[in-house]
Amino acid sequence: MSSQRQASSAAQVPHLSPAELSYLYTSLALPQNPIRPDGRSPTQFRPLSAESNILPGTNGSARIGFADGTQAIVGVKAEVERTVLISDTLDVDQDAETVEGAEESASAATGGHGSWVQMSIEIPGFRDDDALPVFLAEMLRESLVGSVGGNEDNGERHMAGGLKGRLVINKRWHWRLYIDVLLLSQPLSYPLPLLSLTTHLALLSTKLPKLKSTGEEDPFFDDDWAAAEYLYPRSSTINSNPSQQVRPPVTLLVISVGENVIFDPSREEIAVADAVLAISFTRNSDSDTGTDEPLKLLLTQRGIANSETENGNGPDSAAAAEEETPGVWRPRRGGIKRSVLAEMMKTALKKGGVGEEVLAGLEGVEVA
Amino acid sequence: MASTIPTVAIPGQILGPATFYSAGPGTHISENNVYASIAGPVIVDPAQTKTQKKSTLRVARDLLDAKRAPVQKPRFNTLPAVDSIVLARVTRVQRRQATVAILAVLDDASFDPSQYTPDNEKFASALTVAPNPESHNNTDELRFQGLIRKEDVRAVEKDRVVMEEMFRVGDIVRGSVVSMGDQSFYYITTARNDLGVIMARSDVGNMMFPASWKEMRDPVTNVAEPRKVARPL
Amino acid sequence: MNDRRRVNGPAEGTRRPVFACHVDTASAPTRPQRQREPKAFRKIALETGLTRSASGSSYIEVQPSPPPASYNSLIPHSSSLKLACSVHGPKPLPRSAAFSPNLVLTTHVKYATFATRKRRAHVRDASERDLGVHLETALRGAIIADRWPKSGIDVTVTILEAEDDRWWADAPDSHDASWGMMNVLAGCITAASAALADAHIDCLDLVTGGMAALVSDDENPDAPPKLVLDVDPSEHRSIVAACVVGYMPGRDEITQLWLKGDSSNAVLEDGDKRTVHEALIDGAVTAAKSVHAVLAEVVRESILAAGQ
Repeated sequence: MSSQRQASSAAQVPHLSPAELSYLYTSLALPQNPIRPDGRSPTQFRPLSAESNILPGTNGSARIGFADGTQAIVGVKAEVERTVLISDTLDVDQDAETVEGAEESASAATGGHGSWVQMSIEIPGFRDDDALPVFLAEMLRESLVGSVGGNEDNGERHMAGGLKGRLVINKRWHWRLYIDVLLLSQPLSYPLPLLSLTTHLALLSTKLPKLKSTGEEDPFFDDDWAAAEYLYPRSSTINSNPSQQVRPPVTLLVISVGENVIFDPSREEIAVADAVLAISFTRNSDSDTGTDEPLKLLLTQRGIANSETENGNGPDSAAAAEEETPGVWRPRRGGIKRSVLAEMMKTALKKGGVGEEVLAGLEGVEVA
Repeated sequence: MASTIPTVAIPGQILGPATFYSAGPGTHISENNVYASIAGPVIVDPAQTKTQKKSTLRVARDLLDAKRAPVQKPRFNTLPAVDSIVLARVTRVQRRQATVAILAVLDDASFDPSQYTPDNEKFASALTVAPNPESHNNTDELRFQGLIRKEDVRAVEKDRVVMEEMFRVGDIVRGSVVSMGDQSFYYITTARNDLGVIMARSDVGNMMFPASWKEMRDPVTNVAEPRKVARPL
Repeated sequence: MNDRRRVNGPAEGTRRPVFACHVDTASAPTRPQRQREPKAFRKIALETGLTRSASGSSYIEVQPSPPPASYNSLIPHSSSLKLACSVHGPKPLPRSAAFSPNLVLTTHVKYATFATRKRRAHVRDASERDLGVHLETALRGAIIADRWPKSGIDVTVTILEAEDDRWWADAPDSHDASWGMMNVLAGCITAASAALADAHIDCLDLVTGGMAALVSDDENPDAPPKLVLDVDPSEHRSIVAACVVGYMPGRDEITQLWLKGDSSNAVLEDGDKRTVHEALIDGAVTAAKSVHAVLAEVVRESILAAGQ
């Protein structure tokens, strides 16, 4: 299995010569003004086409295609399921005398559970238990269930407890969400941003049937699909600020080359990157409109695509000792400085930064 | 300067400035300093006249390695490299080539087996134990594979070489690495007098002794078998 | 993923008997309290070279937090990390693999079936694969791979006892996530680094794992969460965000960063200009630095021991 994985990840590494890699690195590392192979600015994304609600058999779906031809389709399905008591919990509160115990059982039923969201990713050329799909699925799922949402005191919000809280129907029943991601072609670059954006769109378009029963009854739904409610509630009032709404998280890939921070890297750019960072974030629904950080960070992982970076160094170079030769690509060793890391996060998350732009762009898809 | 160099280093420990020292095996250079990259005793090899100006810092893998004199071509790992002498067991003999599993890498030709304690403690038993055709394949999978091509067997009469008369499966061969080879095999030559089969068993299973450069003899049955025999040390 | 090769226990695990005298409210188990300062660490035991058949190995154990004075339940009050790591190789790549001028690193992380309160399966599940990828990233940044052409090493970590995700008597709540995994990863990184040093694989530095978390206060749920290093998840009512780093102190570089949770509500102490996630990363780095002191001492001792 390990050999198969190596083979398929090797197929992803672009075959560039040391001189080409060195040229690419130098132009990307130009101070203040990196030159990217396709002429984009550091924060510019590749053009993409997107549509949502394309699969009638699902609760929500979306398709995004990048200009290089890679496409992803996401389908979201929801099923009603009975909430089981977690068996490794000792029922200390059975006799309900301890106040603390009663409180705990209540939080179990209203808070939701992370395992209610299931995610599977299919990438051609990979087995479903290969490291890459499993790792990507875990990362996307973690950021989804990691968002805890806001306080309820703010009227408009129905998303206390985040996505997990939204899945609770009552104490005995909940929704189970299946998110199936299908990549339609061999990935030409690290597929994380594509999968994340598509998942975001699909979740935005996801509707759940309207609940007719109340309280602790067995759930009973309105069978009029037109009356169904969005999983992530839409603003009903005109004056509500879009930045006040809870939105599914988005995961972006950011690389650093020299002093520069570059977004949406292509495969060639990842190959020469000093560090690769995946940042998941969503709108910070708690912040008042004037705060500095409109986005909240949910999950970051450094160096996720490190296996993709080109280490094309001949075996002889070790014997030739440790001399740097200008013009020849030498893979970077070691890690990343903390200051660079902070800079990468700041660029993505600051007010008016790339993160906000991406969320606004995705919102636009839905309106159209 | 020498007083500041630690006697024992751990990975990432600074050893000295790169302007005074060059980096030998077990060290690396970062930001103009020589750092240790493995754990072990630190050794300063004084500068040799003419060839180099700076002393070389290296970190030895073990104490025996520490006592060893500096060699001309430093090795950064324990893997077979071009020109290293290897001991290998023949695993397969074909018409054009023989496949071997490399048991040990010796540092140079002037090698004294009695002082040698390789990483793998089962080395001695690997040499003497007759290969069991049922089970030995598993362990050979974990060893580096070598290939002795027909034209690399001996230096003279290369076109008359018959592989079956040179090696048999299970023979222990001393060879020299000629190339890193492809993804799976190192290319090995025995085309020198001191290279070739050093240990072999006869058809009936007795350990044979070398009789000539192309023959080994069974001491019990007195039957001679053809081999490419290495000159006894 | 069904394991058809073995006769397995019940999938959902079993519960050991709890006798009635322990369930009455008077002696109901109480949540363990953190006895240490927020920036103090648990003691760790680390040893190398225990697995003779591997080219390098290590074993790490974290001192469990002491039980509350009146604790008399049969259920262990908290678990602590115990894991063993072995490094095999450098060895030839499998025949089917492509040529590689560098060392090919493969990592496997496996929970023993008895490592957690809920029984684990024999087959590796998603979280174990996920940990493997994280560990691989952390080590890859530290290894000088071009010293070992055409060869591979396998780093195998067996978790004998894992940290709890929460206090065992707690019901999972909305903040619930696999927090224990983050401690496990930090331990994996440190153990693997020790085993690599034991195997004499060239590394830039001894990379160590450190963990820090934002925990919300037990008594007062409305108080802002505070930053705590080396967290035992069972000692806190809820963890808001946590961060694990793989860190090389000699170079002040991070090889692996895993930060998760929702840190938007957190407030730092007055006068602290850092953002919350920066503070978390700095906390984890501080933890990694302290672990490095232990690791360096252990590696140094192992050289001296080999010399005798």
